[in-house]
Amino acid sequence: MEAKLNADKTDWSPFPYLDDQDVISVQRGPEPGGLPGAYRAFGETLRGLKTTFGRIIEGPVTIQYPEEKTPVYPRFRGRHKLHRFEDTGLEKCVGCSLCAAACPADCIRVVAEENDPENRVSAGERFAEVYEINLSRCIFCGYCEVACPFDAITMGHDYEMSDYNRSDLIFTKEMLLAEPIDRTPLRSEGE
Amino acid sequence: MSQPIRNAVTLNIDGREVTAPEGTMLVDAAKHGDIEIPVFCYEPKLGEPVGACRMCLVEIEGIPKLQTACSTPIRDGMTVYTQTDRVKGAQNAVVEFLLINHPLDCPVCDKGGECPLQDIAMGWGPGKSRFTDPKRHFQKPLPLSPLVAIDRERCILCYRCVRFSQEISEDEQLVLHERGDRSFVGTFDDRPYIAPFHGNITELCPVGALTSYTYRFRARPWDIEDAGSVCTLCPSQCNVKFTVRDERALRVLARDNEDVDDGWLCDKGRYSFQMLASEERITEPMVRAGDGTLAPVSWEEAISKVAAGLRDAGTASAVLAGGGTSNEEGWLLQRLLREGLSSPNIDSSASGARADLVRELSSPALGSRMRELDYADAILVLDTEPLNEMPILDLRIRKAVRRTGAQLLVASEHPSSLDGGAAEAVRFAPGEAAELIGALAAALGAPGYEDDGPHAEKAKAIAELLRTGPDPVIVWGERLFRTPGAVEALLACAKALGIDKRLGPGLLEVPESANGRGLREVGCLPGAGPGLAPTQTGAAASGIRDGMVNGEIKALLLSEADPVRTHPGSEAWRKALASTFVVSIAMFDDPSTAYANVVLPAESHAEKEGTVTHPDGRLQRVRPNVPRPGQIRPTCQVLTDLAATLGQTWDLPDQPAVLAAMTDDVDFYAGISDETIGGQGVRWQELASGRSWGPAVGGRTDNQGDPPPASAGSGLLLGTYRDLWASEVTERNPALRFLKRGQMLEIAPKDAETMGLENGDGVRVSVNGTSVEARVAIRTRMEAGVGFLAEGLAENNGNALVNGAGTRIEVEKTAPAAEFEAAGMGQKATVLSLEGEAAAR
Repeated sequence: MEAKLNADKTDWSPFPYLDDQDVISVQRGPEPGGLPGAYRAFGETLRGLKTTFGRIIEGPVTIQYPEEKTPVYPRFRGRHKLHRFEDTGLEKCVGCSLCAAACPADCIRVVAEENDPENRVSAGERFAEVYEINLSRCIFCGYCEVACPFDAITMGHDYEMSDYNRSDLIFTKEMLLAEPIDRTPLRSEGE
Repeated sequence: MSQPIRNAVTLNIDGREVTAPEGTMLVDAAKHGDIEIPVFCYEPKLGEPVGACRMCLVEIEGIPKLQTACSTPIRDGMTVYTQTDRVKGAQNAVVEFLLINHPLDCPVCDKGGECPLQDIAMGWGPGKSRFTDPKRHFQKPLPLSPLVAIDRERCILCYRCVRFSQEISEDEQLVLHERGDRSFVGTFDDRPYIAPFHGNITELCPVGALTSYTYRFRARPWDIEDAGSVCTLCPSQCNVKFTVRDERALRVLARDNEDVDDGWLCDKGRYSFQMLASEERITEPMVRAGDGTLAPVSWEEAISKVAAGLRDAGTASAVLAGGGTSNEEGWLLQRLLREGLSSPNIDSSASGARADLVRELSSPALGSRMRELDYADAILVLDTEPLNEMPILDLRIRKAVRRTGAQLLVASEHPSSLDGGAAEAVRFAPGEAAELIGALAAALGAPGYEDDGPHAEKAKAIAELLRTGPDPVIVWGERLFRTPGAVEALLACAKALGIDKRLGPGLLEVPESANGRGLREVGCLPGAGPGLAPTQTGAAASGIRDGMVNGEIKALLLSEADPVRTHPGSEAWRKALASTFVVSIAMFDDPSTAYANVVLPAESHAEKEGTVTHPDGRLQRVRPNVPRPGQIRPTCQVLTDLAATLGQTWDLPDQPAVLAAMTDDVDFYAGISDETIGGQGVRWQELASGRSWGPAVGGRTDNQGDPPPASAGSGLLLGTYRDLWASEVTERNPALRFLKRGQMLEIAPKDAETMGLENGDGVRVSVNGTSVEARVAIRTRMEAGVGFLAEGLAENNGNALVNGAGTRIEVEKTAPAAEFEAAGMGQKATVLSLEGEAAAR
């Protein structure tokens, strides 16, 4: 079949492929050779290498993880933290289970218990006897933080949570309450 | 009065044509048109609306002021608006007012997530409060009873709990104290609210003011799942649902079924979920070793042991089914016995019910629906105490008396809690049921009955009131079978009243065991096979006991039955069980299981799959809600395996197969399947198979109960009664343990005077050398010359003394009441310790 350039075509139909001649034609650039050819071989290559050499002068940007860490933004959603009141030391969490209700990954399990007035755990009538987050399921959406009526749970900055065992990724209340060793640098203002 | 016919009324709500039956309140009528009107205080179960919360205000054309939709009956052509600005303004204002004093502690509150106040504040509230002053505060939470906590801050004063107490259970303990914003709910004397139905208030409360200690903070609605079942702890067979979290039942809620329970539950059914996961539960098959200890074995070994024991006994085997044994299990048991062992000795209760009478009484023409009580003109309660034996029936009867003005008549041995509301309450001495009912039959003009006994006057009074309307319902206890001649007289009464001629009125039996009717209908009755068909006559419960003692019966299989505790003659039963090969299918190591050679674990009503039959003939499904703990296997499967070991090959791999085979075998259950039963159950009388009921003929006609001994001598006549809390359920559930009661000898004031006894005195009650310890309780509404003891207690069981009607007792005073008071065991002390326990919660 004789190849036909589309450029020759004058009656552009809105449905080109409904044409009787179903031919795909390729529009090619000018043939190599001559001055343009030489420019393409050397000029463009040098232009690309300019970036390469420029970066060499800048020095390496590879972050040597784990010796070195990327700083995160203040609103980065990392591993959860549970909080206590600073003055009384009581847990802020009352075990209302709203975080569990909000969780789209269904990774939070709360079992509440009644407070003993002599030996309080939280400020209200109830406290979380069991508070577990299965971090292997968590999608770090932060809905739990939004749902919490007492700001008892917040998303921290820690993202180093790999482990050898799935069950080790179920974080208990004690683990979530413990002050994490803050290993993640925070990105400074304007960085 | 029969069921009223209600015409359809058409009205216009928000521009929609809505048709509803006349007499309907606007709130309910709106539901017919898919329009929701918010309510707090309105609850049709509680009777007349009160219009206390003002949440349901609507605009009605032609009435200048807004009206409460809950208390406005619909009218033809009425035009109602529920969405206008005026209505919205009123709704916003009501919610705002309610929230003024309602604490914002939803995250802590137990009701959070299933709270109507949350829902309504979200849907109809203004979204914002203008109230900036401090809220009203109360001490919180306080115990209202050992099982219910009250948080008075959260109360929105809807009166639901107070109305329940005053008008439904009629214990009249809850009242509203004080006025205005200081109002709070409490008992009138500040004592704990202790009543057999009080758990219902936690379910009624539309906010978190009344919460159950057993469920407090255990779970949120999104943590749980529920599935319906039927409670098989008593013949009421209330529809329940278990709240299950992490495969454990945490709560029991009512599943409304107007044909069964009217949406209420008794405390026994409501708080008895703790025993399901109890440490004490038998969860694996066990065999008793030579030294008397039970050792766990594999199922295969246990089944071969049982099979060997039964094969050795052969035709000298017997089966006693009871408690929550399902129809399928009962049917398999009788088939195993009759086909596998060619033995006819099977029974399901202690009453010695006669097969021919049971057949006659099971006739659809004579039976009454539960719902029929609502429309009865007169209700005769005959020798049964519904509160103790079928608690929900007590509420149903009270409802009939209160709302439709039924004449209540009580004729019983033991004083009844229904006496107070009865138009006529008569007593008769234990064992005289036949005479009284005979006199009643004579007074009603039944042929063959003479009217000249000492009961003639009482009977005449009852007969006159029974004839006040065309629709009487007679509620009678299976206990009547224990007195020869009583049930025949009852049948004569029913016929004289023309009960079999009319559709509405009828007889309603209160069986002794939870599935009493079902077990009899599938063939667990000596002398009647599946479908109550006449068959070879076997020994009844008392005959089995005597046969075991004298060696005629060599093996006994107990299915959820505890004869030592629940059957008369505890000592004789102990002796009988000790001398034979006993297999017990049981949930707990009860007094009868203590004698078992092989113990097989039983499923509870939260684990079982099967059907049960309500006393009015309604088949209902018991459904698994929680997994079976430990090694427990479905009893149907165990029985089939057992039959296979005995050489019977039944092709019944699972419960559905057994149900299908059973409905084929029981002719009036024909065509019943899981689909026809559905969620609400189905009465076999209302199906085609039931309508073609024909009475079978033949079978034995002699009474099989304990023979009445020649009662001679002086002393009080012994009567026994079943008490709601005198059962294993009370002891196995920690929540109910505070209700465990001691034995009481109930006597009339006159007898107390002649014997020199006072309330609270310690006495020893003895019959032929057997004795029980009891405390004296003087009851005024009792016949003189009778002493009553409760059956079924763990210690000092009244059954220990019974050996037939007409037993006379000797009473010996052992300690004066003051001594008990001093030792901290007096009546006053009991109440105080209860308060202490409540306060300690």
